[in-house]
Amino acid sequence: MSRILNTKIKPYILLIPALTILIGIFISGLIMGLVQSFGYFSVIGLKDFTLKYYFEVLTDKDFLQSLRFSFYISLISSVIAVIVGVILAYSILRSRHKKSIEEFIYKLPIIVPHTIAALLVYNLFSQSGVVPRIFYNIGIIDSQSQFPSLVFDRVGIGIIIAYLWKEIPFIAMVVYTILSNINDKLVEVALNLGANNRQVFWHILLPLIMPSIFSSFIIIFAFSFGAFEVPYLLGPTTPKTLPVKAYIEYTNPDLTNRPYTMVINMILTFISVLFVWIYSRTFKLISKYNG
Amino acid sequence: MKKKFLSILLILVLASSLVGCSGNKKIEGNVLEKSWEDILAEAKGTTVNFYGWGGSQKVNNWIDTYLAKRLKEEYDITLNRVPMNIDDILNKLLGEKQLNSQEGTIDIVWINGENFYTAKENELLFGPFTDKLPNFNKYIDNNSDEVKYDFGFKVDGYEAPYGKAQLVMIYDKNKIDTIPKNYKELLELAKKNPGKLTYPAPPDFTGSAFVRNIIYDIVGYKQFMNMEPDKETVEKAIKPAIDYLKELKPYLWREGKTYPATISQLDNMFSDNEVLMTMSYNPNHAASKIQTGEFPDTTNTFIFDNGTIGNTHFLAIPFNAPNKAGALAVINFILSPEAQASKYDPKNWGDLPVLDNNKLSDSEMSLFTDVKIGKGTLPQQYLLDHRVPEMPANLIPIIEEIWLENIPVEGE
Repeated sequence: MSRILNTKIKPYILLIPALTILIGIFISGLIMGLVQSFGYFSVIGLKDFTLKYYFEVLTDKDFLQSLRFSFYISLISSVIAVIVGVILAYSILRSRHKKSIEEFIYKLPIIVPHTIAALLVYNLFSQSGVVPRIFYNIGIIDSQSQFPSLVFDRVGIGIIIAYLWKEIPFIAMVVYTILSNINDKLVEVALNLGANNRQVFWHILLPLIMPSIFSSFIIIFAFSFGAFEVPYLLGPTTPKTLPVKAYIEYTNPDLTNRPYTMVINMILTFISVLFVWIYSRTFKLISKYNG
Repeated sequence: MKKKFLSILLILVLASSLVGCSGNKKIEGNVLEKSWEDILAEAKGTTVNFYGWGGSQKVNNWIDTYLAKRLKEEYDITLNRVPMNIDDILNKLLGEKQLNSQEGTIDIVWINGENFYTAKENELLFGPFTDKLPNFNKYIDNNSDEVKYDFGFKVDGYEAPYGKAQLVMIYDKNKIDTIPKNYKELLELAKKNPGKLTYPAPPDFTGSAFVRNIIYDIVGYKQFMNMEPDKETVEKAIKPAIDYLKELKPYLWREGKTYPATISQLDNMFSDNEVLMTMSYNPNHAASKIQTGEFPDTTNTFIFDNGTIGNTHFLAIPFNAPNKAGALAVINFILSPEAQASKYDPKNWGDLPVLDNNKLSDSEMSLFTDVKIGKGTLPQQYLLDHRVPEMPANLIPIIEEIWLENIPVEGE
């Protein structure tokens, strides 16, 4: 009995130092934010609990616009990343010769931080960037300002490019790992029975990798939904993505504005938790599929 | 079983994290009741933590080399500069106050404007301390509005002046022949060069100041000095200026649909010839950028005929500063003619001095007259003659909000 107890409790005891920091800081910060979002912030004299701030934020046109913009950027970038990533993974799988180089190169963007990705996009695509300069010098455009505005633009193209550059390799890596572990015999049997390559892809490979495509889609969607630095560096003045909006509200020197920040943060937290839930559901689905 | 255990653990950890924060309270005698000699003696051999904006290499260099070195020599004080944005500093202090922590980590804060207003209103500062400083009493004109008020808000001795700044506009003599003398001529210039002008979006500090300057140029500044911080009142008062900015918008960079997020971005665009003009709240900005080669040699500075906004930046001591005596000694040294003159030299920083020229002896005065101002800057006297006061701090977030609601939004 005591041995069972021992093995059951031991991991938790070993985890205490890490948990103290994680739970102490994370959970207490979350609780503090929740309390402030209800308008209780005693240091500056706000002492009433109210739903007023939630009501005001949720009916604010500006907030809804930001929510839509965040959602739109995450969705577009994630969908494109998944499609291109899968194609990339499949084509790496098909070209079996120069695998070592390809495996190395396509993984490079994954280790480069997002801020650097933003800087790259800025250097390449802003109107004073490298690409417009080349276009101008070879005479495709008459002046650099004729180059379409790809960064700081309202449709968020710059942000999406930066995300794609980071996320396509990520999807490709995840999918490639699964693809290369699929039993070759399945493919060979299909080919033997007269299926062509396209049919093999659509009817054998794709169904097998679908669960991992879906779960990695959720990962990158949730990430770009909550990310701050890329939209801050490459985004337009309006609309702002939700994390950027929360930051601007947070740095407002008028402290009575703080509850608004916390309401936005709570909404962001809620959406993230929702994603985690969907993610764990997907895994249940995967295990059902495999079992 | 597992769940029960986890929840008990959670509660324990949470409780301990709350208890752990109420640390030891060291109550010392009030440093302000001591004599200046005692304060200096107490400060000797200590470390002073200087927190403030660290975004300018020049400013950092001046503090790290000149200031830190001289403090070590004069008072045996070690200066520890911690670069941190003011909103982070305020949040840190606020957190410490929330937890009732009597001993913080910050001794001096570089602060002003709405941040000072917030800090003082929420009792995050120690003071009043300025009348304790010998150099403050000797060299500062404490009747001047620029010392008594910070963005229209009473200082009451809770912060000591550090330096002065003024909004200037920067252009390239080779690209613009006649500089605009007011808002009307600025619009003309924009019409002649569509897509070549812009300003940083508020709440960027400089962009916000530029918007206020346009407001001043159109509706004057006097009415704002006592204005109620009420959105409707402000909106009514600045309506002509907002209309003007709307009129200007289609001729701006990217047709005013988007704006540079920071002043550094605008500076880069100016260096890259993407726009014709940049701006700065530091009158010596052009000179230092010419020096580093980022701006062309033909860069020059101008201001509107009706003047531009100037302000004073300050140093304050947090309520829970662990080394208040050291902080007082450091601030006092910064107010010496020697330190102010070194700070004024564009080679070092180029920050305008805060001392009252009438109170300086001839030899002290020559410290300042000997300083060579840099290329592309305006003479000191010209700036001072064209200087208008900052708006009360509590109006600024309102104006930024109105700007954001009216100017960059789509569809008008």
